[in-house]
Amino acid sequence: MAAARMLCLWCPDWPVVAVRRADPALAGVPVAVLDRGFVLAASAEARAEGVRRGLRRREAEVRCPGLVLRPVDTVGEARAFETLVRAVETLAPRLALDRPGLLFVPTRGPSRYFGGDEAFATRVLAEAAGVDVPGARVGVADGTFAAGLAARRAASGGVFVVPAGGSAAFLAPWPVRVLDDGDLAGLLVRLGLPTLGDFTRLPEASVLGRFGLAGLAAHRRARGAEEHPPASRVPPPELELDDEFDPPVSRVDTAVFAGRALAERLLEELATDGLVCTRVRVEAETEHGERLARSWRLSAGAGAGAGSSPGSAILAERVRGQLEAWVNCDEGPGRGDGGRSADDDLVTSGLTRLRLVPEEVVVAGRSQLGLWGGDRAAAERAGRSLVRVQSLLEPEAVTTPVLQGGRTPDEQVAWVPWGEDPPLPPEQSRPPARPDRLDRCRGLCPTTVQTSPAGGAAGGNGVAAGWPGAIPPPAPAIVFRPPRPAELLAASGRRVTVSGRGEASAEPERLTSPSLPGGGGPVEGWAGPWLSDLRWWDPPARRRRALWQIVAAGVACLVSVEGGEAHLEAVYD
Amino acid sequence: MVLAEPLSDVSAPGRPPSRPRSPAAHAAVAGGASPAPRAGLAEVAQRARPVVLAGERRLVVPGPLGGILPGGGLQRGSVVRIEGAPGAGATSLVLALLAAATAAGEWAAVVDGESLLGGLAAAEAGVALDRLAVVRSVPTALYGRVVATLLEGVAVVAAFVPRGFRPADARRLEARARERAGVLVAAGAWPGGAALELRAEHSSWSGLGRGEGLLGERVLRVAVRGRGAAVRERVAELVTGARAAA
Repeated sequence: MAAARMLCLWCPDWPVVAVRRADPALAGVPVAVLDRGFVLAASAEARAEGVRRGLRRREAEVRCPGLVLRPVDTVGEARAFETLVRAVETLAPRLALDRPGLLFVPTRGPSRYFGGDEAFATRVLAEAAGVDVPGARVGVADGTFAAGLAARRAASGGVFVVPAGGSAAFLAPWPVRVLDDGDLAGLLVRLGLPTLGDFTRLPEASVLGRFGLAGLAAHRRARGAEEHPPASRVPPPELELDDEFDPPVSRVDTAVFAGRALAERLLEELATDGLVCTRVRVEAETEHGERLARSWRLSAGAGAGAGSSPGSAILAERVRGQLEAWVNCDEGPGRGDGGRSADDDLVTSGLTRLRLVPEEVVVAGRSQLGLWGGDRAAAERAGRSLVRVQSLLEPEAVTTPVLQGGRTPDEQVAWVPWGEDPPLPPEQSRPPARPDRLDRCRGLCPTTVQTSPAGGAAGGNGVAAGWPGAIPPPAPAIVFRPPRPAELLAASGRRVTVSGRGEASAEPERLTSPSLPGGGGPVEGWAGPWLSDLRWWDPPARRRRALWQIVAAGVACLVSVEGGEAHLEAVYD
Repeated sequence: MVLAEPLSDVSAPGRPPSRPRSPAAHAAVAGGASPAPRAGLAEVAQRARPVVLAGERRLVVPGPLGGILPGGGLQRGSVVRIEGAPGAGATSLVLALLAAATAAGEWAAVVDGESLLGGLAAAEAGVALDRLAVVRSVPTALYGRVVATLLEGVAVVAAFVPRGFRPADARRLEARARERAGVLVAAGAWPGGAALELRAEHSSWSGLGRGEGLLGERVLRVAVRGRGAAVRERVAELVTGARAAA
């Protein structure tokens, strides 16, 4: 599965940037931000003197005598970052915030609008400069992981664009320690695989067999194939947590307190389901009805345990920073019209509701669990044996059917490799806005909503409804991929063809195919033909075919006629 | 209560209450007067029972199909063989069994060597797709190993057995199913034995005329034969696909 194209905006040393925004007198002075006595971030001037992250306070002062030291101020960082986020948000929606100073934007729409990745990236940089954030770097690549590295490759205040499809080649020379998995990286180096390119040359099945799902995820990341670890699924809505405040909360720290409790509860509940949140949306509602929302990415390792794990601390910190930022946001110059001016009302009208929505979750352990209840031990056992089968064959051989939109029974199911994302969220796999214009289905097939009795409950993705021209239920239990050859003959002994207007040349009398028992037989009943004209706007890829439901010699089957040739598509077994 | 009525007639006033009663009357009085100790005893007996009987290790199959299966379901640790010509409904029987398994909260897997299974039909049969794994394009040489690996962790494994599958491998899989208490649903050219055989004999469709109507109801004639108590063949007709909209 190709990874979505992402833009990464990275502002190095964000703590320093935040400190300098708060205190403009610090510009041009060597500054370092301390976290419990150790240097957390240092300005370029300080780094030139040898001040590094992780130094003790005293050693930093020795190396750079004029160094100004400031304590870490997470709230200030979040507040300053909110200004930048608002600026970028005027260009593109669906930002995913990683930590203050690092954010990701899917570029598919915005790049097309602004005329290419470079143009879009330049606009983002300009916005960042507009809110007085110097030295930001922008990287664009396929996948979050590659985009992050591209931003690291970019010059200060510059753009680095990896061409589409070039992520694998771009990633190959990087050392394996960029995978953010210390144990794996150490092992790979000892195995003589120092770069991502070396690692990706291992066959996927072997990686899965030796390193498990986490190794497979790293392998995919290294290939630039997929942005998230496998099995990130859209969580069910009941995992949302919210807290209503009555009377409305006007003090920030009260809201922050509630937010922290909410964050802990959320991670705990996810942990009991064996899940880890990788992306969470923080939503707040105010007395005046404004709704504020921001998405934050959480690294997959965070929050593996419940309670006071580092994950819940990070999430609580993000929630707190976000609330503080909303309440005390300083409007940047020229940002007065920036979409969310209602935020200022937050100060006057209290918060009435705070909600945490896990937007993306991954399975915590090595094994897969069913999201919708069921016996957890059984799920773990099944997951283990399925992973073993994957390493026996290949990862793509073990699949889960996921219902999606489509016309034929084969199109309505996506076979997703075990442990991977479903291809698209259900709302995006619906047909385009005006399917009658895009796919002219002029058949006689009823365009009523298809109600498969178990479709909605089955996969959580019950999207089989609403496709005009879809073959009505029941669905055939045997689907031939590719379709098997067949002959559909009229009483005269000639082949039945279908005209451009969807009319059959004659009534079908006989259906023969080597795949049918006894080679087929006389047609007892039929429905159709239903003409579907696929991709008519694209002459090379255009397909016109007619589908029939036919009962021949007691066997119900689905037959297609395309270009005068009949094929056996499926058998209702 | 019927028994109690003549009793009250017999016990005339003045008679001592310690008069010996007939056994039936005694039982009726004891049952009516003290239901709580009786229930408690039953509960203790339930708890003290030493083993799970073989007949209870069953995967219950709901609906009319379960009605013709011995014990109303599938025996865990056994092989179920499903036969039928293409179009007769064998695959639908497999899906019905998988639906029963996933409805009970178990996981199910299909080893579909030729990638023929229709996923939409599985959803329509009621299979919970989030607990279903389909292993596709399996080379014949690895077929036995794949099925054996699946039986280790998955409660019901349906295998569309390819031609040329060796009886020795089949016996090995049978032993594996027994050992792991899984159900192996073998369709196709299964060369080994089976505790239960389901044969899809014929499907007749209604709703489709000559150029009109749509496929609607299907009557699937299925014959069930097994070992032991189920050795006599039972035949039933299952009606599926009744269209709600029509």
